[in-house]
Amino acid sequence: MAEPILSVQKVSKHFGGLTALNDVSFEMKAGEILGLIGPNGAGKTTLFNVISGYYAPSVGRVFFKGRNITGAPPYALAGRGIGRTFQVVKPFAGLTVLENIVIASFLRHPRRAHAEAQAWKVLEFTGLADRAHVPAASLTLAGRKRLEISKAMALEPTFLLLDEVVAGLNPTEADRTIELIRNVRDQGITILIVEHIMRVIMGISDRLVVLDFGMKIAEGTPAEVAANPQVIKAYLGEEHV
Amino acid sequence: MLIPLTKDRRLLVFLGIFLAVLLLPFVVHDAFFIRLFTEAAMWIGLSLAFDVLAGYTGYLNFGHSAFFGIGAYTTGLLMMKSNWPFYLALPVSALTATLAALIIGFPTLRLRGAYFSIATWALARAILQGIMMIPYAGGNEGIQLKAYLNPLFFFYVMSGLVGVTFFVLWFLLERAPFGLKLKAIREDQESAKALGLNPTKLKMQAFIMSAIPTALIGGIFAYWVTFIDPASTVGDLISDQALVMVVFGGMGTLIGPVIGAIIIFAFKTLFWAYLSAYEVLYLIILGAVIAISVVFLPDGVLGAAFRKGTGRHAKGSIHVTTPSPEKEA
Repeated sequence: MAEPILSVQKVSKHFGGLTALNDVSFEMKAGEILGLIGPNGAGKTTLFNVISGYYAPSVGRVFFKGRNITGAPPYALAGRGIGRTFQVVKPFAGLTVLENIVIASFLRHPRRAHAEAQAWKVLEFTGLADRAHVPAASLTLAGRKRLEISKAMALEPTFLLLDEVVAGLNPTEADRTIELIRNVRDQGITILIVEHIMRVIMGISDRLVVLDFGMKIAEGTPAEVAANPQVIKAYLGEEHV
Repeated sequence: MLIPLTKDRRLLVFLGIFLAVLLLPFVVHDAFFIRLFTEAAMWIGLSLAFDVLAGYTGYLNFGHSAFFGIGAYTTGLLMMKSNWPFYLALPVSALTATLAALIIGFPTLRLRGAYFSIATWALARAILQGIMMIPYAGGNEGIQLKAYLNPLFFFYVMSGLVGVTFFVLWFLLERAPFGLKLKAIREDQESAKALGLNPTKLKMQAFIMSAIPTALIGGIFAYWVTFIDPASTVGDLISDQALVMVVFGGMGTLIGPVIGAIIIFAFKTLFWAYLSAYEVLYLIILGAVIAISVVFLPDGVLGAAFRKGTGRHAKGSIHVTTPSPEKEA
């Protein structure tokens, strides 16, 4: 097997007495879409924050493209090629959509004119070009989620963490976003995605990792995972197994 | 959208205004008015420097006066105690202010919202008390400099420095990427990190960028008024007035502080000229103006004049960063 692009090794994260992640390990190969699922509070967002540098793990290590990135700050990881979105969307509300994306473009294009040209390309790609000059605060939820993806894409990442970019959208909007995620993957970008909506995650993921109470309880193709008794138990309770 | 520099009309307008200001003494010869223009330029400069942190970065520095005082005392002491000439003493003010910004900024810039304001305010008070206890710095009595009675000299030094400050800030904040990066920090520091921005570094750069012109203005002030004491240089009034001017004019812009400084300074001057018998009214009126402008003109007079709906208060909220506990879902 080729060297994994991401390797999470025996990661645990404690907050005081609470264990949010407990000895989680998995690997990702370049170009795949890995879905991360689990009931509320399973530790999905914590894991995202560990991989993207927002939290240092209490125990364990994270390797990206063969290099140890454990504890590196988020801004350094952005430079290495890791882009992320936030579950609770974080637009720069007072700035225009274009400005939001230009800020991200500065990472690869330090000159402002170049950054703007690049931002327009991203806007075309994500379908926000017609909203370029409105304040980010005036976007709908669907628009804001799209803006999150746009900002991450403007970093020109090789690896993307998407945290519930479909949740809360109506079916039409959801389909457009799924389409967008597939287009992102077709550019060769590896994607780790958290999503609550099973229809979405089952359809889009090459493989799945399932977390429950901070522990990895299953890993495999969507079909394998759906048939796994432990997963059914975690989601539906003991009596459905 | 970024307009190419050679086609940016604003630059021509600013250069024209700056030139007109420099030509003022050829029209107005009265020393009293020259002094007023000098002080107006001083307040414009202090407001611009204040807004780098307040408007662009989202940090209200209630200890802004500390840098003014440090600049005034550095220049004043070097000239009086070491007999340095003004033109050598003044640049040292920029150095001491940079050093002070690094020392003050390191612990305070990690605080958010009101906590940053309280901490910087308290540090400025501590510096004020500290100067009072140093006999070398004249303590409570202050220090007296040798008078140089040349109003035109001070007018040109002050307005020259403020003009240069304006153009440097305009290039850095309105044209270079730096300004947008600071705004990203102001809007959402956590999300800015994910986009490759190092908030600690950017905030420190903004802090120093705010401190240097403030200290240089303080140094000129010391030589100009020839007498400095802790209260008149490090006291709250410098920070308060700069805040009022920036909020009234329009935060997060460079034109706003200029307009705010001119209007508030003109009001202050007229008030003292005609209504000095009603001294107490001054602060009452000033306070009322601020309260009203914060409520009804959140973007300042500039924002009210050019309301385009793309302003940062488009949703009607006042956007001074408030301390919010880190929420992680």
